[in-house]
Amino acid sequence: MQKKTYLSCIGIFWILLAGRAQQHSRADLLIKNAKVLTITNGLLENTDVLVRDGIIRQIGSDINVPGQVPTIDASGKYLMPGIIDAHSHLALEVINESSSPITAEVRMRDVVDPFDVGIYRALAGGTTVSHAMHGSANAIGGQNVTLKHRYGTRDPENLVMKDAPRTIKFALGENPTRVHGRGKNLQPRSRMGVEAVIRNGFEEALQYKKAWEEWHESEENKEKLMVPPVYNSRLETLVDILEGEIIIHCHSYRADEIYMLIQVCREYGIDKIVFSHVNEGFKVAPELAKYTMGASVFADWWAYKFEVYYSTAYNAAILTKNGVITSINSDSAELIRHLYHEAAKTQRYGELTDEEALALITINPARQLGIDHLVGSIEVGKQADLVLFDGHPLSIYAVPQMTWIDGVKYFDRENDAADQRLKVNAEESLEPIYLHTEHHNCMRDVDFYFTGFGRNLFQHSH
Amino acid sequence: MRANNLQILFSILSFLIPFFLFGQSDRDGSRRVTSTYYISNTTVIPYPGELLTGQNLLFSDGVIKALGKNIAIPAEAREIKGDSLFVYAGFIDMANKTGMEEPPIPEKPEDFDPSQPLPEIAGIHPHFSALDHYQENNPHDKEWRKLGFTIAQKLPKGKGMLPGKSALVLYGHESRNNTLSENQSLYFKFSTAGGVYPNTDLGVMAKWRDLMENSRLYDKHGEMYDVRSSLRRRENNPVLEALIPVFKKEMPLLIESSDELDIRRALKMQEENNFDLVITGINEGASLLPLLKEKKAGVVLTLHLPEDKFSDPPEGDKGPHFNHRLERVKTAYQESLALAGEFEKAAVPFGFTSKHLPRADFFKNIRLMVANGLTEQGALAALTVHPAEILGISDIAGTISEGKMANLVLMSDTLFSEKARVMMVVADGFVFDFSEKPEKVKEEEVVWEYEAETQGGKSKGKWTLTRKDKKWTGTVSYDDPQGEGVKTSSIENAVVTEKSLAFSFTVQVGTDSLQVSVSGEVTGKEFSGTMKITDYGNYPVRAKKLEKPEQ
Repeated sequence: MQKKTYLSCIGIFWILLAGRAQQHSRADLLIKNAKVLTITNGLLENTDVLVRDGIIRQIGSDINVPGQVPTIDASGKYLMPGIIDAHSHLALEVINESSSPITAEVRMRDVVDPFDVGIYRALAGGTTVSHAMHGSANAIGGQNVTLKHRYGTRDPENLVMKDAPRTIKFALGENPTRVHGRGKNLQPRSRMGVEAVIRNGFEEALQYKKAWEEWHESEENKEKLMVPPVYNSRLETLVDILEGEIIIHCHSYRADEIYMLIQVCREYGIDKIVFSHVNEGFKVAPELAKYTMGASVFADWWAYKFEVYYSTAYNAAILTKNGVITSINSDSAELIRHLYHEAAKTQRYGELTDEEALALITINPARQLGIDHLVGSIEVGKQADLVLFDGHPLSIYAVPQMTWIDGVKYFDRENDAADQRLKVNAEESLEPIYLHTEHHNCMRDVDFYFTGFGRNLFQHSH
Repeated sequence: MRANNLQILFSILSFLIPFFLFGQSDRDGSRRVTSTYYISNTTVIPYPGELLTGQNLLFSDGVIKALGKNIAIPAEAREIKGDSLFVYAGFIDMANKTGMEEPPIPEKPEDFDPSQPLPEIAGIHPHFSALDHYQENNPHDKEWRKLGFTIAQKLPKGKGMLPGKSALVLYGHESRNNTLSENQSLYFKFSTAGGVYPNTDLGVMAKWRDLMENSRLYDKHGEMYDVRSSLRRRENNPVLEALIPVFKKEMPLLIESSDELDIRRALKMQEENNFDLVITGINEGASLLPLLKEKKAGVVLTLHLPEDKFSDPPEGDKGPHFNHRLERVKTAYQESLALAGEFEKAAVPFGFTSKHLPRADFFKNIRLMVANGLTEQGALAALTVHPAEILGISDIAGTISEGKMANLVLMSDTLFSEKARVMMVVADGFVFDFSEKPEKVKEEEVVWEYEAETQGGKSKGKWTLTRKDKKWTGTVSYDDPQGEGVKTSSIENAVVTEKSLAFSFTVQVGTDSLQVSVSGEVTGKEFSGTMKITDYGNYPVRAKKLEKPEQ
């Protein structure tokens, strides 16, 4: 009987939390006496942060407000901006539309999965924003979506950070050549082919744009009446890239291909490009600094395939010292839980300062996603995405205590129930657990093609 | 000599069961002497919530002519005694696929490029019509008719996102054409042919947007060309042509959903392209009710319910985490049962689809829904008036009133009571009489198809078992051991339980008679055991219970 009461209490708690998350996605909050890691303005000791309606309104000492504002005593604790992951596949029902070398028309926003319990786990690691990306099967993949981890909602749209700009996935090297070239005997079969696919895409987009411009002109001039061209959202999207409305986030490893895409972008007048993974980025650091919006790297992850052998844990530090906007990303539902550890590794490999190391997981990824005016640091006027640590977040002993998004608390270690699922299958008391799970998500949903690929590779008759 | 006999004895044969078992009832409606009937002194539920007693209901040529206590009965009208019957409007099934066949799809060419497939290969063939691939006289529809269904929305089959147009059919008499309407709605689902573009929901959503936009442009091109023929001619494109009625709101888009995220995607599609929307297959999403109401989407709930796996949890204390999970999964199960009731409470009218539903679960599942919050009126409405509204056929179906089609279900009791049985179904004015308890026939007559391994090789045949007054008798069929043709022997000493079957029989070979006894275990529709032939030995025998012995 007692057990039952206990259980129903948990149920009610979750219903309440879910309701609050959906209806009041912005809240008031006062955090007292914290050590505030502002990122952009150093460390402020014994500082209060006041949040009104989800926005940081005041940073200072002895802030007192009349009325009922939820107040947190953060004495001795560290407050930092919510961690931002510039490369993730969390909370997505589908990752790859791997059926064509260019799929610029597809939108990750169509397949956001609010029931992914990984969102909660990310919150427990202080990550408040992730860049939910298309996979790396295609030279030009789909349009990504920037998510705020408002866990508890059943509506995928509530997770979408609506004021974030549009971004798109590109991918170079082995993945697109494997899937399309060797898997289906299409272009691209080589790195040269990847470049050709991207260039052809841009050229077609320019022709497409011209065709529509001509038609719009003819609409105004009855003498030149024309029939409308065919609508193509793929080319439409490529036009938007060429016009600077979309930030490219490009999966890449080798210096030569990185440099190639820098050149292609320069040729087409594109300057909104971020390189992801970029294991050989240290070789082209000055070029990345000069021509791109930076590089988003792993701290120390490589050698999982041939093109990722030439790597170093000093990559992030070298890039930072060369003036590249650098971030450290997870690309994994597991790593996203401790990106602050990943950032700390750059102090061991490269001796970055606290501020530089924390920038790798806050303001820098915010800049790469075009949301640095909204999040990524603790400043008056910014959205109150905050995480409170019991120690300095770059210490291996620090543990996140509470996480807020827009002033709403979504994680509290004090109330951390074991079962955080929002949705339960009526026919399974335990979800199946697979011993082998794919940490590296970039190639999910492409199995079909690998079957064909395997056959071609291993069953040659000559 | 004996070995030879055996060889002949166990050779293969087939056996037909007597076809007409019941002389009195007209179960297939094929021998009617009049098309005018009246149900006398009966209880009529003309629409959900209304119950009239002592009624006479007259229908003729498939149309309800009169309903009332004192109505004129023409001389040629045949009486159906209704004093113990409850008469409901015929049920309407939505988004149903029984009797549908996969349409033929062109072969992939040698140099096939999966990124640019022909629309048909990509599962995009909205121009296909369900009726072109519908087996009108399929046995499944007749079985559904036995449960009270008289009209069904038939969906085309197909592997991809746009399989084609749905049709409305009557479960009427086989001799008639039972099409009510051919282009009823356009069917959309979040699935793909696989291995070609579009391959996932990502591609499906993008492809849909392009198709809608290009359908508009295609239509515009046509309009322009009509006015000015000096323009480039419009190449015929059946795919885009088929989508025009959707954006013009002349034909609804029926979207199949498998979870609440699909429902949200469907609503998003409607928001983007403003069409009449019906969502079918709904099995969750109580939190979406306000949205569904606001968007005025047509709603079709699935009659298929999850399996109750956790009402009897394993014994023993499993600890708080296990118990917590158990509670949650039970809650989830309860929520599935309560969903229909939630929709009713929110005043969102809905129909039902029988897709994925085993027939035996139909009344059981409805009763479960009724036990968990759905009112009986709500359940009846979901089978009659609401689907009629969603399908736009309220003028001819959904209620019992003068001028509507004579589609009726005659029950032995009120619809959702445990003991209620369908006694007759009237579809398109044809009377299908099941009052001879055909349901029991299944229990009474069982036909097994057996295969035994003997020295002589494989032998096959049938066992037909009939129960009369708790006693089982029957026949065994086998090839005549002394010549060509079929021979049968009577079954003796039959012992039939749920899990076992045993009997014996005698085979006459010339002057010799062989004693054969069969015994073994029954698991579902499978029998496995031994066949003992006295003086010869034991041989393994397997048998399968036939699905529909009376057909």
